[in-house]
Amino acid sequence: MSEVKVIQVNESIFAENDRTADLLRKRMTEQGTLFLNFMSSPGSGKTTTLVALINRLKDRLNIGEMDVDIESSLDAQRVADRTGIRSLQIHNSGLCHIDADMTARALLEYDTKGLDLLFLENIGNLVCPAEFDTGAHKNVTILSVPEGDDKPLKYPLMYQVSDVVLINKIDALDYFDFDLKKAKQRILALNPNAIFFPISAKTGEGLDAVCAWILDELNTIKSAIL
Amino acid sequence: MMDEVKIIKLKESVLEDNNQDAQLLRDTLRSQGTCLLNLMSSPGSGKTTTLLALNKAFAGRLRWGVMEADIDSAVDANTMLEAGVPTVQLHTGGMCHLDADMTRQGIRALGLENAELIVLENIGNLVCPAEFDTGAAINMTILSVPEGDDKPAKYPLMYETCDMLVVNKIDTLPIFNFDKKRMEQCARARNPEIEIFYISAKTGEGVQELADALVRKVKEWNAK
Repeated sequence: MSEVKVIQVNESIFAENDRTADLLRKRMTEQGTLFLNFMSSPGSGKTTTLVALINRLKDRLNIGEMDVDIESSLDAQRVADRTGIRSLQIHNSGLCHIDADMTARALLEYDTKGLDLLFLENIGNLVCPAEFDTGAHKNVTILSVPEGDDKPLKYPLMYQVSDVVLINKIDALDYFDFDLKKAKQRILALNPNAIFFPISAKTGEGLDAVCAWILDELNTIKSAIL
Repeated sequence: MMDEVKIIKLKESVLEDNNQDAQLLRDTLRSQGTCLLNLMSSPGSGKTTTLLALNKAFAGRLRWGVMEADIDSAVDANTMLEAGVPTVQLHTGGMCHLDADMTRQGIRALGLENAELIVLENIGNLVCPAEFDTGAAINMTILSVPEGDDKPAKYPLMYETCDMLVVNKIDTLPIFNFDKKRMEQCARARNPEIEIFYISAKTGEGVQELADALVRKVKEWNAK
């Protein structure tokens, strides 16, 4: 009897994506660009946070930003208008995430040579983006106070794959039943190495610490080239 | 003569199959006098809290049950059960949406005979659930004030698919920059028929009006 060949389609998609992602990451490391992938629910404040971070860092660093949306160009426009940096809008026509190949294709249109820092703002979604390595050096997820402290229980993979969790809209803590300690415990149970920054992108609270972390990570990459 | 190459568009056929299956489910439910409502939103917009508030406002006017779909955890189902609403927890095993067949399995598991209303609380996600017809008679989405008024522009399909839009957490309007008019214009540009309700599931504001509208819709659907 001949053997039946079983192909795990799902697995092979991920394996292929991981290879592309590794290549992209290597390229970014070699050119001295720190590549950060920002993920969150819709409306957690990805764009507002990126604008605030870029404005704090743009005098010291050469920064690029790519925005993924289904069809609007609101975010890239907002970033360009409010920071003055070059921003690229990627339309993924209905897809729920961006993978390494899509990122690599977008980078054909966007020159990253000489950039110290490249931000990717992913689609607002806590499910699908967590499954696809984009080639970023670090994954950052934002959990905003109004969403509630139970998100790690419901969307565990996002917190497992994220190196950094920004807890945003802390200026609204008084208005919501959000237990910061519980949120942290739940995330640490999924990912003991997660780093936390409580922030308010609106008031600016906590953002200096995030900038310090970014500069630290960039140092690690730059010193690896030397 | 060369044979014609057969091209199969997988995504289209998946969606088409699901659409047919969803229509079957909708017909079956109608013949049983059950209205299925598919509740969708971002994570943390307040789907479960809204259902709890509606339960109070229904005040026993509807025989109803809930299916809580989540990737993991039974937090939401436990909350609903504690409030005395018959509920099942559906785990999607990492999937980002529910389709008609998964919904059918859930309804079977709920086993609520003579239910006038069954609510499917979908996965918190504005993208994928909008693509898959679950067999629901009513699609409802929640947009919470802290998420911002630009969501209809960014996730258009969700607003095109929904019959009812519930704007939640209006008690926080003073602390967020949320332009009601801009949001309404954008949602109506996508879907002129969409019915918009403003509520705070936390304080109860607007919940009675929403509950009354739902009771009316459910009774109408079931009488057809």
